[in-house]
Amino acid sequence: MNSQPVLSLEDVEVHFENKPGLLDFGADPETVRAVDGVSLDIAERDVVSLIGESGCGKTTLGKACIGLQRPTGGTVRYRGDDMWAVRDGTTNTDTEWADIRTSLQIIHQDPGASLNPNRRLISILSEPLRQVNPELSKGEKRERIYSLLEHVGMNPAADFAERYPHQLSGGEQQRVALCRALLMNPDVILADEAISALDVSLRVEMMDLMLDLQEEFDTSYVFISHDLSNARYFTEHGDGRIGVMYLGQLVETGPAEQLINDPKHPYTEVLRWATPDLSLEQSGELPMRKIDIPDPVNPPSGCRFHTRCPEAREVCARDQPADYRLGDQRAACFRHDETHEYWDSPELTD
Amino acid sequence: MKPTESDTEFSFETSRSDIEVTWKQRLGDFYREFIYKPGLVAWSDNRTRLGALLMLVYVLMGTVGVVYYRAPTSNQSPRGVQPFQTTEALLGTTGSGIDILAMIIHATPPMLIMVLSGGLFATTLAVTFGTVAGYKGGVTDRALTTFADIAMSIPGLPLIMVLAIVFSPTNPAIIGILLTINYWAGLARAIRSQILTLREESYVEASRTLGVSTWRILVKDIIPNIMPYVLVNFANAARFVVFTSVGLYYLGILPTSVANWGVQLDQAYRNAGALTGAGTLYQLVFPMLAIMLIALALILLAQGMDRVFNPRVRTRLAGESRSTDGDDTEAVSTTEVLN
Amino acid sequence: MATDDPIIRMRNASVTYDHGESYVLDDVSLDVERNEILGIVGESGSGKSMLASAMLDAVPDPGLLEGSITYVPESGSKVDILELDKPGLRSLRWEEVSMVFQGAMSSFNPTMEVGDHFRETIQAHDMDLESGMDRAHELLEDLYLEPERVLNSYPHELSGGMQQRALIALSLVLDPELLVMDEPTAALDLLMQRSILILLRELQEKYDLTMIFITHDLPLVAALADRMAIMYAFKLVEIAPTREIVEHASHPYTRALLNSTPNLDASLEEMQPIEGSSPAPINLPGGCAYHPRCPLATEECRTTVPEFERTADGHVAACHHTDEAVDRIPLNYEELLREDTLGPDGDRA
Repeated sequence: MNSQPVLSLEDVEVHFENKPGLLDFGADPETVRAVDGVSLDIAERDVVSLIGESGCGKTTLGKACIGLQRPTGGTVRYRGDDMWAVRDGTTNTDTEWADIRTSLQIIHQDPGASLNPNRRLISILSEPLRQVNPELSKGEKRERIYSLLEHVGMNPAADFAERYPHQLSGGEQQRVALCRALLMNPDVILADEAISALDVSLRVEMMDLMLDLQEEFDTSYVFISHDLSNARYFTEHGDGRIGVMYLGQLVETGPAEQLINDPKHPYTEVLRWATPDLSLEQSGELPMRKIDIPDPVNPPSGCRFHTRCPEAREVCARDQPADYRLGDQRAACFRHDETHEYWDSPELTD
Repeated sequence: MKPTESDTEFSFETSRSDIEVTWKQRLGDFYREFIYKPGLVAWSDNRTRLGALLMLVYVLMGTVGVVYYRAPTSNQSPRGVQPFQTTEALLGTTGSGIDILAMIIHATPPMLIMVLSGGLFATTLAVTFGTVAGYKGGVTDRALTTFADIAMSIPGLPLIMVLAIVFSPTNPAIIGILLTINYWAGLARAIRSQILTLREESYVEASRTLGVSTWRILVKDIIPNIMPYVLVNFANAARFVVFTSVGLYYLGILPTSVANWGVQLDQAYRNAGALTGAGTLYQLVFPMLAIMLIALALILLAQGMDRVFNPRVRTRLAGESRSTDGDDTEAVSTTEVLN
Repeated sequence: MATDDPIIRMRNASVTYDHGESYVLDDVSLDVERNEILGIVGESGSGKSMLASAMLDAVPDPGLLEGSITYVPESGSKVDILELDKPGLRSLRWEEVSMVFQGAMSSFNPTMEVGDHFRETIQAHDMDLESGMDRAHELLEDLYLEPERVLNSYPHELSGGMQQRALIALSLVLDPELLVMDEPTAALDLLMQRSILILLRELQEKYDLTMIFITHDLPLVAALADRMAIMYAFKLVEIAPTREIVEHASHPYTRALLNSTPNLDASLEEMQPIEGSSPAPINLPGGCAYHPRCPLATEECRTTVPEFERTADGHVAACHHTDEAVDRIPLNYEELLREDTLGPDGDRA
C-alpha cells in the first residue's frame, strides 16, 4: 500500500476579505482568517474528524482539502502534486485536474438541498457514472445504480430509482448523496455535518453505513461535526483521528478515545465538558472565562484561546504555542513544555 | 486515480436480470415523462384547461380555419350586416361588405407567428444571457450585464417605431423579433438574479464537485429549476407582442397590408365610426375580444404550466409512491408532517 | 400525572385534524409543577411542539384542540385557558406564560433593532417603559450580554448564540411565571448550548420561574431538567424525575432512545439504532403505538392501549410490560451507572 498521503495540507491559509460598503469611506477591508496555518495529512482509507464551534473554519478547511476552496496561502497536495498548480497548468506532472476533481467528493449537511428536486434518482446517480465510467451503456449504468441502492438498503431499487428526492425521507436522501459520492470511486469524501440534519436515532445507522462502504470503495473520510459524541463514534470505528479546531487553527489532534479521555488542550477539555452525556454531573459553572467566541476578523493575539482559557497566563497573550508532539497526540499548548516560561507567568484574570 | 485496488472491491452485481433498456422502453419512458405526466398535471388545473382550450381555438383558426373559411374581400356579403343575423357572415360585415369573422380568422396566423417568434426570441435570449452571466460571474457577467443594460436603457417604443418605419417589415416572424428587440433585457436581469441564488444551492455545488461541465450544470440543474419563472415570462412577452403589434398596426406604423386585429380596430374606429353610436360597435368589439382572449389564454396557460415543473405535483397526480411515516430530518414543523 | 402544586394542569388534551381523522396530540394529561424545570423529549413528528402550542391555545387552524388546560397563577384564581377570549389570551401570553420558538433568527424582525423589539413588547402590553427597559438590562446582563451593545444592534449583527439569549431575555421581560422553550438550542454550537443551559438554571433560581424545555436531544435536557416526559406518536409514554429516567427508565421506547444516541460514556459496540420509524398521524398502529418496533410486544400490546402504571415514586410509564423492560433492554452505559451509585470499589459511595 502506498505510504504517501492522499492529501497533504501544508500551512494552508484561507482568508476572506469583506470589502467595505459604499458608505464606509476609507475603511480597510476586513479580513476573516477562516483557516490560518493548518497542516494536515490524510492517508489512504483514513478517517479524520474535524470538530469545533461554528466559525472555527472546519467547513472551509474541509472544502480546501477537496479542492472546492482555493487557499490564499500554503499548499494542498494530492498524491504529491500541488492541486492548484495542476489546475492552473503551471506544473509538468502527468496528473490532470479532471482526475483530481473526480477523486475528491462531498456529502452536504442538508440532504434535501443536496439533490436536484427536479431530477429522478436514476438521473442524479447517472451523473457520476457519466464522469468516471462514460463507456458504460445505459443498461450497465442502471445495473450499478440498482446494486448500490440495494446495498444501502433501498429496496426495491427499481422503485426508488424512479423517485424524486421529495419522495424520500431525510435518511434516504442522505444515503443517495452517499451513493452519488461513492459512484465516483473517490479517494476522499468530505462529510460536511452529514449526519447533523438526521434524526438522532438514525445517525448511528448512517455512520455505520459510511464505514461499511469505506472498505469496499477504498476511500478516506474527512468528517466534520460540531458534536463530539458523533465524531468520537465515527473516528473510533474508523480507526482515525480527531482534529480540534479553534478560530482557524488546529489546536489538538489525536485518536478518538485518547483525545476524549485524556485531552491535552484546554479547549478540548471545554468541548468535552459541553458535550451532553448521561452522567448527570451537575457542574453548574462555566469553565471558560467568556461565553462568546471572539470575532474572527480580529482574533486574539498569541494563543487564540487565551481570552477564554481557564488556564491562561500572560505569556499566552503574547506568544503562539507550537505543536507539541505527545505520542499519538499533538497539542498546541505551552503546558506541555515543562521548561517554558508559562509556568512562571502570572495568571490571566478578568 | 487509485494506485491499488482493494481486494474487497465493491461488486456491482444485482439481483435483477432485466436491466437492459430496450428502445421501446425508452420511447415509453419519454412519453410518460414528457407528455403523459405533464399533461396530467396541466389538465388537473382548471386554469390550464381553460387556457389550453382557448389556445386550441386560436390554433385551429390559424391552421384549419384559414384553409376552409373564405378570405376577407370587399363585397363578399351584403354591407353593414349586424352580427348573428345570417349564417353567411356570423359576426356581421363591415361597410364595404367584408366578413368580420373572415378578417379575424385570417389575421390569426400572422398573430400566432408573431407571438411565437417574439416570445421565443425574447425568452431564449434572456435565458441565455441571464444564466451565463449569473453563473459565470466575473468579467463575463459584467460584459453581458452591461450589454443588457444598454439594451434596456434605449427607449423601447420609439426604437420599435423607428425600426418599423424604416424597414416596413411584412414577415410576421421578423415583426415578432423586432417588437421584442429590447424587451428581453429586463427579463435577462431578472433571470440573472434567480441564477445567483440557485448557483449557491448544495446540489449545484455537488455537480461541480463531480466535475460536471458548466454547460451541463446549466442545462440539467439550473434551467429546469427556473422553468416556472421562464414560462410566466414567456407568456408576458407574448402578451407584450400582442398588444404592441395591435397598437402599432392601429397607429399605422406597421404596414396595414398585413391582416391584423389592430388594423380592424383602426378601421372600425375611423371608417365605421364605431364609437359614435352609429350601430357599428360590433365591428370594434369582435377584434377586441380576439385580442383579449388570446392574452387571457396565454396567462392561464403560463400559470397552470408552472405546476407542471413542480415535481411534487407531478408525482402526486401520477399516484407515485413515497416514503411516508414522518420525516427523518430535524426541525420539521408539525404541519409539515401532515402532508 | 398529578402533582401537589401545579402551575399548569392539562387533562385529556387532544388536537385533531380532518374531523377527528388524524391526531397530532392524543389524550395528553400532564401537570407541570411550580418552579420545576420539565423536559419534554420526543423525536420529530412525535407531537412535542404541538403540546407546547396547545398549552398556549395556539394550535394552527384547522386543528381542533379539546380537553382541559388550566393555568394556576401564584396568586389569583385558576384560568381555564381554552375558555379565554382574545384579550384574555393576549394578556396570558407573554405576561404569564411566555414561549420561545425554534429558530431565534426568524423570531426577530430583521429591520428592527433589538431594543425596539423590547420596547414594542413592553408597550403592547401596556407596561411602564422605563421599568420594563431596566428589567431588560438586568436580564441581558444575567445572560452574559452587554445590554447597550445588544439593544442597539440589528438581529443579524449578533451571533446565533447572542440572538438566542436576547430572545430569552425578551421572553422574560414582562416577568412571566412560566417559560416554554421549543428546541431553543437546536441551531447552536455545543459550548453555547451547554452555556445556555447553565444560564437557564441560573435564571430559574433568580426569578422563580417554571420552565418547560422541549427537545429531541435527551442527554442535553437531562443535564437541566428536574423531571422528564417522553413522547411517542403523539402520546406521553413516560414521566419521571430525570435520575429515574436515566437509571431506571421503564418504557421500552425510552430505553431504546437512551441506547441509540451516541454519547461519550457508552461503550462503542452497544450503540444501536432503533429499528423502524415513527408513525404518521393518519397511520397510527392499533393498541400501543410503539408495538411494531418494540421487542417486548405481545398480543395485548397490539390490541389494548396501555394505561399509565406507577413504577416508582413519581414515575409512571404507559406500557404493559414495564417490569420486564429493565431486564430485557439493557442500557449501554450501565457500567457507568454502577460506578456512580456504588463507587469505584463497589461499595455504596
